[in-house]
Amino acid sequence: MTDSPTPDNGDIDALAGEYVLGTLDAAERVAVAARRQREPALNWAIEAWEQRLSPLLDLVSPVAPSAHVQAALNARLDRAAATALTAGVPGAPVSNLISLENRVRRWRRVAVAASALAASLAVTIGVRETMRPDVPNNFVAVFQKDDASPAFLLSVDLQSRNLSIRRVAADVPDGKTYQLWIASDKIGPAPKSLGLIEATDRSVQKALTVYDQSLVQQATFGVSLEPAGGSPTGKPTGPVFHAKLIPTAP
Amino acid sequence: MQQLQLTMPKDLILLLQGVAGHDRAAFDALYAATSSKLYGVILRILNRRDLADDVLQDVYVKIWDRAAAFDPAKGAAITWMATIARHTALDQVRRVTPVSIEDRPDVLEIQSDEPGPLELLQRSESAGQLRRCLDGLEAEKRELVVLAYMQGHSREELAQKFNRPVPTIKTWLHRSLAQLKDCLTR
Repeated sequence: MTDSPTPDNGDIDALAGEYVLGTLDAAERVAVAARRQREPALNWAIEAWEQRLSPLLDLVSPVAPSAHVQAALNARLDRAAATALTAGVPGAPVSNLISLENRVRRWRRVAVAASALAASLAVTIGVRETMRPDVPNNFVAVFQKDDASPAFLLSVDLQSRNLSIRRVAADVPDGKTYQLWIASDKIGPAPKSLGLIEATDRSVQKALTVYDQSLVQQATFGVSLEPAGGSPTGKPTGPVFHAKLIPTAP
Repeated sequence: MQQLQLTMPKDLILLLQGVAGHDRAAFDALYAATSSKLYGVILRILNRRDLADDVLQDVYVKIWDRAAAFDPAKGAAITWMATIARHTALDQVRRVTPVSIEDRPDVLEIQSDEPGPLELLQRSESAGQLRRCLDGLEAEKRELVVLAYMQGHSREELAQKFNRPVPTIKTWLHRSLAQLKDCLTR
């Protein structure tokens, strides 16, 4: 660095600013993108301009992309994951891959069906297959206020029957609290409380060890808004959040 | 710090952390929460849905690949994502031979009644200090900066639009940027 002339800070800043504004031509953009990798001062100036001008992004009206974009995107990620899987396991039988993909698709269908059941408790941990070593052990569910905003992230470890739920986007109205429920034919007709989700942003752990593994696998989970202290009736009384359930990668 | 008025920046950080661990559920939720915003950003620059669709895919693949590199200390998650979207769209628009609106009326998707960037800036309550600093620029320079940022115009396109030589536009851009930075750091 010392044997090269010190670049003029004004020049770097103007170049960074124009790069962020988007006014450079194709060749200049490529050159700046390459230079920022080896010139920390330029990279820093670019990042600073990104932050300075970012409030302008607020002026851009959202436009919903058509559904086929997400479908194509998912297909791309599926292909990449399948490639990574076969690359990671040399000679992995294709049949395993296909059965894995089928299983994921089946869970997706379960998840879609579950999110339609907005009127009742609605997360089905729907693994009706017997546990096999390659069956995912961990599941997550996103409880949503509406389609755009997650409200709770639930994860379940089937092996240890530990459940962890984190409030990420649900405001707690005054005098109210959120309550977590489990429902299963094996418990009875009414859902059982798993306790309150205290007003913190930290994960709340719940042990499900009083329930056996197959019950947990097939149980339904829900979150309801209740008066402070929890439901007075022992059953969900307030609005219930619904969720999408997808297994995490095995 | 004045940031995007996204309702729940913290959720996006959590979701990005999930995506960094290649969690598809988090990715789906992130897409649901942010794709309209990013598509809006991309479409403003490309003006063509067919190109914008492809760029949106590329952007989310990049987000999937790079989520681990996101650093919440450096800025909002949506800014990080929108930056990827803008640069991917800009790289694309500079590659594509400009298509005249008259040639391809079918692909022009921005409706003519969509408010222009300056009109939006006027209505905006949220751009805060940046808006005050933009107000400090001469009207023409303000328009230059905002049009460049939001619609991805090159110096040549700006030269045509403002009916000035390209070097003048470059000088205007540099002076306006310097003035903005000065105002914002004051």
